[in-house]
Amino acid sequence: MYTRPLARLIEHFQHLPGVGPKTAQRLALHILKRPKEEVAALAQALLDAKQQVGHCSVCGHLSADPVCEICSSPKRDDRLLCVVEDSRDLIALEKTREYKGKYHVLGGLISPIDGIGPEQLNIQALVRRVSQQSIQEVIMAISPSVEGETTTLYVAHLLKPFTKVTRIAFGLPMGGDLEYADEVTLARALEGRRELE
Amino acid sequence: MYLRSLNLRHFRNYTEQSVEFTAAKTILLGQNAQGKSNLLEAVELLSALKSHRTSRDRDLIQTDALAAHISGQLHRETSGDLELSLTLRANGRRSVALNGVAMRRQVDFLGTLNMVQFSSLDLDLVRGGPECRRHWVDGLLVQLEPIYAHVLQQYNQVLRQRNALLKTLKRENDRAGNLFDRASTSSSTSDSSSNSASDLEASSLSLWDAQLAVAGSRVIRRRARVIQRLIPLAEAWHRSISASTEALTLSYLPNVELLEDSPEVLQQTFLDKIRSRSTAEFHQGTTLVGPHRDDIEFTINQTPARQYGSQGQQRTLVLALKLAELQLIEDVIGEPPLLLLDDVLAELDLTRQNQLLETIQDRFQTIITTTHLGAFDAQWLDASQILYVKAGQLVPEEF
Ligand SMILES: Nc1ncnc2c1ncn2[C@@H]1O[C@H](COP(=O)(O)OP(=O)(O)O)[C@@H](O)[C@H]1O
Ligand SMILES: [Mg+2]
Ligand SMILES: [Zn+2]
Repeated sequence: MYTRPLARLIEHFQHLPGVGPKTAQRLALHILKRPKEEVAALAQALLDAKQQVGHCSVCGHLSADPVCEICSSPKRDDRLLCVVEDSRDLIALEKTREYKGKYHVLGGLISPIDGIGPEQLNIQALVRRVSQQSIQEVIMAISPSVEGETTTLYVAHLLKPFTKVTRIAFGLPMGGDLEYADEVTLARALEGRRELE
Repeated sequence: MYLRSLNLRHFRNYTEQSVEFTAAKTILLGQNAQGKSNLLEAVELLSALKSHRTSRDRDLIQTDALAAHISGQLHRETSGDLELSLTLRANGRRSVALNGVAMRRQVDFLGTLNMVQFSSLDLDLVRGGPECRRHWVDGLLVQLEPIYAHVLQQYNQVLRQRNALLKTLKRENDRAGNLFDRASTSSSTSDSSSNSASDLEASSLSLWDAQLAVAGSRVIRRRARVIQRLIPLAEAWHRSISASTEALTLSYLPNVELLEDSPEVLQQTFLDKIRSRSTAEFHQGTTLVGPHRDDIEFTINQTPARQYGSQGQQRTLVLALKLAELQLIEDVIGEPPLLLLDDVLAELDLTRQNQLLETIQDRFQTIITTTHLGAFDAQWLDASQILYVKAGQLVPEEF
């Protein structure tokens, strides 16, 4: 049905999250219609992003520089640290424009089923950060799933000797996902945070 | 409550079918493998978002179709007319809607259509393993307290995670060739820099213990509560059906003992029991403590029902349980639930049939499947709507 290179392109698109066979076909046919320069630019952008974007050495957020913009900004409050599961959640919180502190990205949640234990996560760096700097409050902003709950408790337990640890208030107890929460809900959750015992 | 109609699209062997229920009793008549049970299963799905026959949505979707659609028009005395709809997709995604409004959380949909199902498989309540009885109580609880679906799902997720962790620890321990001593590895979590990977994992185990105890205690307390309410009803029904010749007792046997009705005490008992079984858990690499090991015991005249008497006596017991279930749902919900009888009426002797029919009367909307009408009371047949089921289609009469 498809000539070889086209079939290959469609297959690659299909591996992308949220893309089914129909969308993959549409994207591939669209690409074929575009001028060669535009396609080359897209291909280059893909490679550049992959080659240049790594993780911030301080917080773990996606960054092309060794230290990300948030970590190096003098305008952000060093005394507040917000712990999130991944960069997607960080971006969602940034969109609220409510939060002026800094972040720490764990890179996942504790999930033995997926072979993810605490040592696979960016936790040691967090403990070092909190124990060596004067941080007044660590805010745990992790989705309240079973895995999120365990990770929150685990991290809180490690940080408590050094600082106050709070968690954001979730209005959605039923597996509410940070990523899908709208900005108003998130801002409110941030505001209504409570200390973890 | 009354289910006025049902619409099926690409569900099991139904391509496109609507059914109007025009009487309080509907008899689905047809030979084997025509789609009678499938239709009851569709009602079950609208009620529980679950089928007792399969856990894979793929099985529910007509062969070669991408999605199945079930919808129903329900009238409830308390909330009027409601439209329920459920779409099942081959990729596993589901959507549910109430009155055309998509529901993001299944707890908002559950508990709308209440029903009691009674099939010949229910003899497994007496003869089957403990999981049959747990499923039964859990299904009843979801109808009475829809949030229980979430409580149970959380518990099962914690259980899966904890089992995965125990398995990893066992594997690492087997490889290291030493006897695992939990006390020495789970003590200090704050000193993370000096901990090895496996120490970190072991220390996260105590967090899973705590989560298991919290989630598990919720399951236990809710099960205990519903069984407590069921006991007098089931025992009374049993006395009445067996004409007081047999005495049924029903008791909850939780794996973690419920010493008093306090969440804190129960969680502590739970944690103590985990501690006492930790060596065995490490050897087996799986969770040995918790409500996934609960059972419910039935005895008749002080003898476990499984060993007691004939199939007929076991049927009497199951019938008493079902009647108790019907009554409890009616008490809690405030209106009679639907009753789905799958092939079971013909299996009951005349006395028990009459007992059941007398109870139902016209109060409970009842959908009955059968392969022949021979066993039915004539008066009863007159009052019933009879639909003939043939190869995934309904026809008004048999020709
Ligand atoms: N996903 C499916 N697609 C098509 N047919 C199915 C599907 N699942 C079951 N069937 C068919 O449904 C029939 C069984 O229907 P069922 O309602 O259990 O029978 P009965 O009338 O004996 O209660 C069988 O013929 C089976 O092949
Ligand atoms: Mg059948
Ligand atoms: Zn950074």
